[in-house]
Amino acid sequence: MTLLEVKNLKKTYVTRFGSVKVNALTNISFSVESGEFIAIMGESGSGKTTLLNILATLDKPTGGEVLLDGGSTLKIPEKKLASFRRDNLGFVFQDFNLLDTFSLRDNIYLPLVLAGKKHQELDELIIPIAYKLGITEVLDKFPYEVSGGQKQRCAVARAIITKPRIILADEPTGALDSHSADSLLEVFRDINADGQTVLMVTHSVKAASCAGRVLFLRDGEIFHQIYRGERSNEEMFAVISDTLTTMATGGEKNA
Amino acid sequence: MRKISLYPRLAILNIKSNRQFYLPYILTCIATIAMFYIMTFLTFSDGTLSLQGGDILFFILKLGMIIIGLFSAIFLTYTNSFLMKRRKKELGLYNILGMGKGNIAVVLFFETMFVAVGTIVLGLALGILLSKLVLLLLYKIVRFPVPFGFEVSLEGLTYSFCVFGAVFTLILIFNLISIRHASPIELLHGSNVGEKEPKVKWAAAFLGVISLSGGYYIALATENPLQAIMLFFVAVLLVIIGTYLLFTASSIAILKRLKAKPGYYYQPRHFIPISGMLYRMKQNAVGLANICILSTMVLVMVSGTVCLYLGTEDSLFAGYPNDFSVNVRAPEGNARENLRRLIEQTIAEEGYTGENTQDYISLSTQTYRDGNNLCLSPDYGYDINNSAIISIMSQSEYEHFSGESVALSSCEALLYSSIDNFGSEINLDGSRFEIVGDMNAPSLAASPSISTIIDSFCMVVSNESFEMLKEKYNDVTESWYYGFDIAAGSEEKLSFYDVLTNAPVSFPSDSLDGGYVSLSTSCREAERSFIYSMNGGFLFLGMFLGLVFLMATVLIIYYKQLSEGYEDKQRFEIMQKVGLGKDEIKEAVRSQILVVFFLPLGMAVIHIAFAFKMITKLLLLMNLTNVSLFAVCVVCTVAVFAIIYGIVYTLTAKTYYRIVE
Repeated sequence: MTLLEVKNLKKTYVTRFGSVKVNALTNISFSVESGEFIAIMGESGSGKTTLLNILATLDKPTGGEVLLDGGSTLKIPEKKLASFRRDNLGFVFQDFNLLDTFSLRDNIYLPLVLAGKKHQELDELIIPIAYKLGITEVLDKFPYEVSGGQKQRCAVARAIITKPRIILADEPTGALDSHSADSLLEVFRDINADGQTVLMVTHSVKAASCAGRVLFLRDGEIFHQIYRGERSNEEMFAVISDTLTTMATGGEKNA
Repeated sequence: MRKISLYPRLAILNIKSNRQFYLPYILTCIATIAMFYIMTFLTFSDGTLSLQGGDILFFILKLGMIIIGLFSAIFLTYTNSFLMKRRKKELGLYNILGMGKGNIAVVLFFETMFVAVGTIVLGLALGILLSKLVLLLLYKIVRFPVPFGFEVSLEGLTYSFCVFGAVFTLILIFNLISIRHASPIELLHGSNVGEKEPKVKWAAAFLGVISLSGGYYIALATENPLQAIMLFFVAVLLVIIGTYLLFTASSIAILKRLKAKPGYYYQPRHFIPISGMLYRMKQNAVGLANICILSTMVLVMVSGTVCLYLGTEDSLFAGYPNDFSVNVRAPEGNARENLRRLIEQTIAEEGYTGENTQDYISLSTQTYRDGNNLCLSPDYGYDINNSAIISIMSQSEYEHFSGESVALSSCEALLYSSIDNFGSEINLDGSRFEIVGDMNAPSLAASPSISTIIDSFCMVVSNESFEMLKEKYNDVTESWYYGFDIAAGSEEKLSFYDVLTNAPVSFPSDSLDGGYVSLSTSCREAERSFIYSMNGGFLFLGMFLGLVFLMATVLIIYYKQLSEGYEDKQRFEIMQKVGLGKDEIKEAVRSQILVVFFLPLGMAVIHIAFAFKMITKLLLLMNLTNVSLFAVCVVCTVAVFAIIYGIVYTLTAKTYYRIVE
C-alpha cells in the first residue's frame, strides 16, 4: 500500500532581491510503501534537508505534489499544519531537539499532552516504549544529565509515542559516537520491524545500510536507488559505498 | 600603525554590531549622567542656598545627589554584567581566532572608554541643556523666585566626571576580571550553560513568608506615629528580604507543587507554562524582585511626596491655626493685659483689624497614661507608647474662650479626649476629677495633629482646682496664646510680621506691670515659604528619583525580555517541529510573559496596600492628616505607573516576539 507519494517536486530559492535563483530540488518523484525503511543519501547541498522539510510540512515546494495516504499535504491550511504534524509525523533530529526545561519523560509526553491526552493514558503509553528503547531508568532525568545516545532514544520515543504514519529522521546518528549510533540503528530497525514506516536522511553509509531502500540525491534530483532485496547489512554497505564512489568520480555520465 | 588603530576600530565595530544590547545601555548611561549633573547643578546653584528655606532644600538635594550617584554605580555595573554575559560567545570566538586575552582586554578597554567618553560628553551636554528647565520647575515647586541667566555648574561638571569616571573604571575592571578567569571554551558557551532544574529551598521559602508577614504585621499594627518612624525601616527591611526570598524560593516551591500533580500538570494549558516558569523563576527571580522593590519605591516615594506637597496648605493650617500668634510663657501680673493691648494697638496702627481672635491661658504638659491615670513621672513604665499630652484650662478662661457658661465643682471636669470611651473619671497624679461633660476642644488652637500622633487630652476644671494643679505642677508653666488673622495679602502679612515681632521687644518691660519667661511670635505666611521649600524639595526629589528608578525598571525589563527571547527561540523551534502551532506557542508564551511581567507590579501594589496605614502615620508627623488625599495620590500614582509599565510591556514584548519568530 502506498503511504507517501512525492510527485515532480520542485523547490527554487530566490535570493532576497530576486536576482539569483537556486534550484534546491529540480524534479523529484518517489513513493513510500507502508512499512518501508528508506534512507536518502546525498552530499551537502544535494537537497536532502529541503526535501525533508517539505515532507515535514515545514516548508512549501515551488511545484509538484506530496500525497500522504492519497491526500495532498500541501493543501492543509496553515492553522491545521501543527496538529497534522502532531498526528501523522514523528521527527528525530541530528541535534536531538529535546527541551532542556523538561525531563525526558515530559519531553516524550509533549506531543501527547498537546494532543490533549489524559495523564493516565500517558503512563500506559510510555512504559512499553521506554522499555523497548532501554530508557526506563533515565526517564526522570533531564537532557543535560544523560548521554547523547540516551537523548536520541528519548527523541525516538517522542517520535513514535503518537503512533505516526511515518517517521522522518534527519541525520539521527550524526551527533553520536559509533557505539551509540549502532544501537540507535538497531532501534530503528526494531521499530521498522514492528511496522513503522521510517524515512531517514543520512550521510552515514552505515546508517543507510540498515535501510530497505536507499535513494541517492544529487543536485536536486534522484540520481539512483538501491533496494536491499536479500542483501545483508555488509553487502548493502559495499553496494552503497560503490554507488557513492561512482557518484563522486564518474557520476555525470550516468545522470 | 595599522595594528594600533585596529583595536579602536574593532571596539567601534563591536559596539555597532551589538547595538541591540548596547543602545539601551548607552542611553541609560547618558540619562543617568544628565540626571546626576542636574542634581549637582541644583544643589550647588547660587539660588538654592541664598534663599529662605534654602538650607533645607540644599540638604534634600544633596541627599538626592548621593542617592543617584550610588544607585547609578550599582545599576550601571549590573547592566554591564548582563551585556558581558551576552557577549561571551563573541569574545570567545576572538580568543579562538587567535586574539590573546591581552588583546581582548585592549578591545574591551577601548569599548569601555568609547562608551564612557561618549556618554559622559553627551550626558553632560544633555544635563546642561535641561538644567535650566529643571531649575525653573524646581523653583516653581518650592516657590522660589526664578533667577535669570543661564549657568554651567563647575561643581556639577567635576562631580559628574569623578563619579562616572569611577563607575566606568569599575565596569572596566569587572570586565577584565571576567575575561581573565574564562577559558575560550567557557567563553564560547558562556550564555548557554545547561540549566539544572531548580531545587526547592523550603527553609528560604518559609523564611520569606515569615519575613514578609512580619513586615506587613508591623505596618498594620503600628498605631503610634513616633513609633512608626522607627519601625518603618524595620518593616521595609523585612519586606525587602521577604520579597527576595518569596520570589526566589516560594515561587519555585509553588510551581513544583503544581508540577507534582499529574492531573493538573499534564494539560496543554499548563504543561509548557509551568515548566517554563520554573526556569524563568530560577533565572529571573532576583531580577523580578529587583523590579518589584524598585516599583514599590517609586510608588511610595512619588505618592508620598505628591501628597505631602498637595497637603502643604492643610499641614500649614494645622500647625498654624492663625495668621499670627503670640505665645507667652508664664505671664505675671498685668503682663497679659498690657501685651494684649500692645498687640491690638500695633494691629490698629498698621491699619488692620484682628479677626478670629483666640486668647486663652492653659497649662500644658506631657504625661504618661495608664488607664485613667495620668502621671508626670509615673512609677509604672513609660515610653512613647503611653505618653500623652494634657492641656488644662480654668473654668473662667474656658467661658471667656468659648462663650459658654459652665458650672463645675472642685472635683468635676469637662474633658476632650483623643481616646474613644475614655471613661467617667480622670486621675491626675492623685487628683481625681469626675468628668461631667464634653469640652469643645477642636476649636482650641492646639494643633489637632498632635492629638493623632500621641494621645491628647484637654480639660476644663474649676478656677480653684486650676490654681491647685498649678501649685502641684509647679515646674510646668502656664502659657498664654494670642492668635488672630488679618485680611491682607501675602506681602503685607510678611511686613506686618516684621512690625509685630519688633513691637513687644521694643516695648519697655517695666511698663508691662509684670513679667514673663519667654515670648515667641509666629506667622503662618513666614512658615509657608519654609514648608514649601521642604515639601517642594521632597516632591522634587521624589519625582526625580522616581524617574531614575523607573528608568532602571524599564531597562531591567527590556534586558530580561531580550535575553529570554534568545533563550526561548530554540525552544519554540523545537516545539514547532514537534507539532505546536504558532498560535499555541504564542498563547503559551503570552501567559508566561504576562505573569513574569505583572507579578512584580502586583506584588508592589500589595506592598503599597499594606504600607498605606504606616505611611499615613508618617505623614501625620509632617502635620498631614488628610488620609483621603493620600489615598487619591496612591491610586493615581499606581494608575500612572501601571500605564507606563503596560506601555513598556507592549514595546518589549514586540521585541521578544520578533526574536522568537
